[in-house]
Amino acid sequence: MMQKAANVPPRKTSASSFLTTFRQLADSVGPEAAPGLRWSLAGLIAAAAFQGFGLAAIAPLFTAAATDPDLSRALIWFGVMIALMGTASGLRWFAQGFDFDGRMVRATWRLRGQLGAKLREIPLEQLQNKRAGELNSMVLGNVDENLLYALTVLNLVFTAIVTPLCAAIGIVMFDWRLGLLLLMIFPAIVPLYRWRRPALGRGKRILGQAHQEASADVLEYTQGLPILRAAGRAGEKAEKLSQTFHKLESIQAFGHRKGAKPNIIVASVVELGLVAVLGLGVWLVVAGSLHPATLGAVFVIVVRLSEPLSTFILYTAMLEVMEAALERIGALMATKPLPQTEPAQVPKEFGIQFKDVNFTYAQGDGQAISGFNADLPERSLTALVGPSGCGKTTLTRLLLRHFDPQNGAVTIGGVDLRQIPADRINGLISVVFQDVYLFNDTVLANIRMGRPEATDEEVRAAAKAAQCLDFIERLPQGWQTPLGEIGGRLSGGERQRISIARALLKDAPIIVLDEPTAALDTESELAVQRALDALVSQKTVIVIAHRLSTIVGADQILVIEDGTLMQAGKHADLLAKGGRYARMWAAQGAVKKWSVAS
Amino acid sequence: MAIKEPRAEQTPKPKRVSPWRILTPVKTQINLAMAISASSALFGLAVMLQLMMVVQRLIEDPTTVPWLWFAGAAICTVGAYVARLGAFNQAHYAAFRLERVLRTGLAERLARVSLGYVETQGAGALAKVIHDDVKALHVFVADSTPLYARAYVTPVVTLALLIALDWRLALVTLIVLGFGYGILNGAQKRRRDMVRKYNAAREQVSAAVVEYVQAMPVVRNFDSGKMSFGRYQNALDGYLTVMLDWYRAAGFPARFSWLVLSPMPTLTLVLGTGLWLTSAGDLSVSRWLGVLLICTGMAEAMMPMMMLRHMIEKVSLSVARIEEVMTAPELGQGAKVPSDTPLTLDPTAPALQFENVTFSYGPDLDPALRDISFAVAEGSVTALVGPSGAGKTTVARLIPRFWDVTSGAISLGGHDIRDMGPDQLMEQVAFVFQESFLFAESIAANIRIGKPDASDEDVIAAATAAQAHGFISDLPQGYDTPVGERGVFLSGGQRQRIAIARALLQSRPILVLDEATAFADPENEAELIAALSELMRGRTVIMVAHRLATIRDADQILVFDRGQIAERGAHDDLVAQGGVYARLWNNYEQAQNWSLGGERTPQAPVIEMVK
Repeated sequence: MMQKAANVPPRKTSASSFLTTFRQLADSVGPEAAPGLRWSLAGLIAAAAFQGFGLAAIAPLFTAAATDPDLSRALIWFGVMIALMGTASGLRWFAQGFDFDGRMVRATWRLRGQLGAKLREIPLEQLQNKRAGELNSMVLGNVDENLLYALTVLNLVFTAIVTPLCAAIGIVMFDWRLGLLLLMIFPAIVPLYRWRRPALGRGKRILGQAHQEASADVLEYTQGLPILRAAGRAGEKAEKLSQTFHKLESIQAFGHRKGAKPNIIVASVVELGLVAVLGLGVWLVVAGSLHPATLGAVFVIVVRLSEPLSTFILYTAMLEVMEAALERIGALMATKPLPQTEPAQVPKEFGIQFKDVNFTYAQGDGQAISGFNADLPERSLTALVGPSGCGKTTLTRLLLRHFDPQNGAVTIGGVDLRQIPADRINGLISVVFQDVYLFNDTVLANIRMGRPEATDEEVRAAAKAAQCLDFIERLPQGWQTPLGEIGGRLSGGERQRISIARALLKDAPIIVLDEPTAALDTESELAVQRALDALVSQKTVIVIAHRLSTIVGADQILVIEDGTLMQAGKHADLLAKGGRYARMWAAQGAVKKWSVAS
Repeated sequence: MAIKEPRAEQTPKPKRVSPWRILTPVKTQINLAMAISASSALFGLAVMLQLMMVVQRLIEDPTTVPWLWFAGAAICTVGAYVARLGAFNQAHYAAFRLERVLRTGLAERLARVSLGYVETQGAGALAKVIHDDVKALHVFVADSTPLYARAYVTPVVTLALLIALDWRLALVTLIVLGFGYGILNGAQKRRRDMVRKYNAAREQVSAAVVEYVQAMPVVRNFDSGKMSFGRYQNALDGYLTVMLDWYRAAGFPARFSWLVLSPMPTLTLVLGTGLWLTSAGDLSVSRWLGVLLICTGMAEAMMPMMMLRHMIEKVSLSVARIEEVMTAPELGQGAKVPSDTPLTLDPTAPALQFENVTFSYGPDLDPALRDISFAVAEGSVTALVGPSGAGKTTVARLIPRFWDVTSGAISLGGHDIRDMGPDQLMEQVAFVFQESFLFAESIAANIRIGKPDASDEDVIAAATAAQAHGFISDLPQGYDTPVGERGVFLSGGQRQRIAIARALLQSRPILVLDEATAFADPENEAELIAALSELMRGRTVIMVAHRLATIRDADQILVFDRGQIAERGAHDDLVAQGGVYARLWNNYEQAQNWSLGGERTPQAPVIEMVK
């Protein structure tokens, strides 16, 4: 689903895509605002139609004024025109009320709230795909920008299509030959434009790709700058970068030529139409069947019609963005959470079992986990070891139900994860990640999120057990220090201890530790170790560890390679048996003894 | 470690930058585009006048085709069209060229500023300036400049023509315009204030979105989204309030001025007035027609002008960021050492020396290093240890001039590093940092960086010494295997060994290591260490280390504490002293012997401990 949203499929080019856009727009603003939106759109269309007829009235008005010495006929037509134009303005005023009364803003506000809520329940696998993640940020961040202009853009579309159509119909009633010519030219433009639009899309795609490449090269340059400079290959000597910029420029020029084509076609039709009307009109006048004043009035009308067309073309980019945004919103809203099977059950015990688990990532090649069986008794400590990429983290993510296995099952206390309501699973498990995420809130709030109803004393006790007190009290505003501003000033160990305090406070029966001590300095490490000891007592624990010495006391060690279980047992047994684990242990022992001068 | 404001902040930032100044490199081309665009507007007006003349001739003599005027109108139509396209194309090609020129300029600038600047700004943020901010200029340069010329030429010429055709009708259009403009200005009154509030609210929303989406795994695990969702919702509410406020304050005048400035009111009034004037015999039909054809030109120019104003405001942030990088201070070089001749080092001076070095990251920040003095003999190993934030990494990064010292001096073989040319300095020093960076090229190209003329044999020899030859040979394309963006196809330890091979090939006398083994996975660690040993052989080494066991045998250990050297000496002496180092060593040994859950006792449930 996300994949599909990522590469927006080629859109249909017929009028039906307009209807689809309307429907998506109505869905997006929600049931409360949808009737208002529909009325508003109807108002805009009616306004455009009245405006067209109002313009057409200029022809008889002008002819009458120029030919009829009696003013009354001209005045009647003037009255008709004012009535039509006034109605058009009134209708438009009413229709734009949807924007100006704040109904559109409220609708996007509501929509963003909904999208945010949706994000909490869609499978995490889809969120953690980086591209999809960025896309979602974009949808959430830009919804308003894309939708707030919807009425403005649609108004332009209607004035570009409906107004010329109605003006031409009005002129047909007055002079069928000129009217027919107009009917042929102007309404043809929009379908023509939409027909040519794929070329525009192609140009855009080529350009988008070139920009993506250039962006990656620029990032590589800035990130690699220390090395490039150490090698004397930065600045004007960075040939690759310079080539990239040149290439981008030529692709931009190419894309511009390609992308400009539909615009040129539309503009050419408008200009040629103008000349054709001019020619036909002059011929009719000379042939004696048209009054010159009428021809003049038709000129005035035609000039009026070509104006909205050129602005329409100017705003088509906005229309494209809006359509794409609507599609993404639709795709996101249509994403289903992982299904829950009935009857719902909540485990009473907290042992974990993996039964014949097979798992393949949606975008991955090959099985990440195959035929995996393991039994993790309640309150035992299980360590997962193995080279990076072997599937350790995938196993913990299966336990957290970021995704479901294709075969087999993961159970907690004998209950299949798929039977446990989603929020209950998260209540059962606390995770301490390698990369700690601190929120833009106070220290207190960052710890308390583990259990919102905890008292200040309980938060304090958790922080104490997690070895946080000393540094929290040193912070400029103590517990109330906002971490958004100073989060970067805390050391890795300090951040890690806050996350452990969070987990301690939550007091979930199952603990997952994902290399929590991987990147700490010695002093922090000791404190984090103490904090972890406080956290894991009495819990069912799964720990991913690289340094084997930290897990020698585990109740069982699972050695994993390429997604399969190679060895399982206690440290001493595995050492005695020899094999993979014993080899890893020996290698790490050798490293420990290394010193610079040896 | 706390990295604060860059030194560049010392120079006051230009507050408001005119986006026009950034156009300088393509000024001629843009001026040309604007001139063509203006001429297209003139052609357009000429068409209208000629149409008027066609009708006038036909009224005078309905039997003859007014060929001259007719042809003129047709030609000017084509001329206006061609000129519009030409201006559009010119402006676009100028915009593309400007993008390239600016990007190249920015990249070259970054090659000359201090690396500390690069680090504090962040590679990602700088890349954003080079790519995204430069890209953001496009709409302004390519689309706005031609419009700009039109938006100014059209109303002025139109007014002149209107006055020439009929001053009374010209007055009518001016009244409508003035009325609309007055209301519009009313709507703009609180605009600046509103824009500021709007931007602030938007920023809050996007910060909340980023936090909410990025941290989703944590969010779900810890509060099922209540807290961060609350913050997201709060930001949305704030945004809604600002928007509703704006509609209340400026909605009516904005809407009303749009209505007045749309072509319809002008057209209607000109028709009405014209009707009255012609019936009084005071105005010829053809002049009336001429006015009708061009009368909306002034009002119609207002909207593009407003749009342009908005657009210029929008790009000025990007322009300011670009200019900031463009004016970032370059690393100076004292002129004492000629930079194009190879450096002659004084053999009697220490290979590396810090003399009374004090350094702070910003003028109002406490010094990160205070009065540091030490000397490193050629071929010796010096280890920098201490708690995090004590200044070890800062020392390591002062050597390649990530920053310059605030006071004191650093010298290599008797030469102050500020007197050396950048290339001269780099010829002396090689670095291996915590995470080594690889370029998205082949393995061989990555090793060869810094010595492009090295033969294949040299590359293989370096890789072999760095314990990398084995895994490279196992790869499908061997040394020609692309390593992927930032080296993603390789493990951390493999990347690190390639970086070591690179340093080996460069073969520079002084080696700076900053926790070179920190991110290696245990599988690779043994090989990595063998590679490092190979690299360190015979070189003068400065290393930052957390794993104290690795530096037991260093010639000199400098123990840092709060920016100063607290202790110095060899391992055994320092342990015996019982000071900072002894404490660190003790902690280290304890941490080494820890095993998770070692203190798990069934009698002490955790919640008891917490309470």
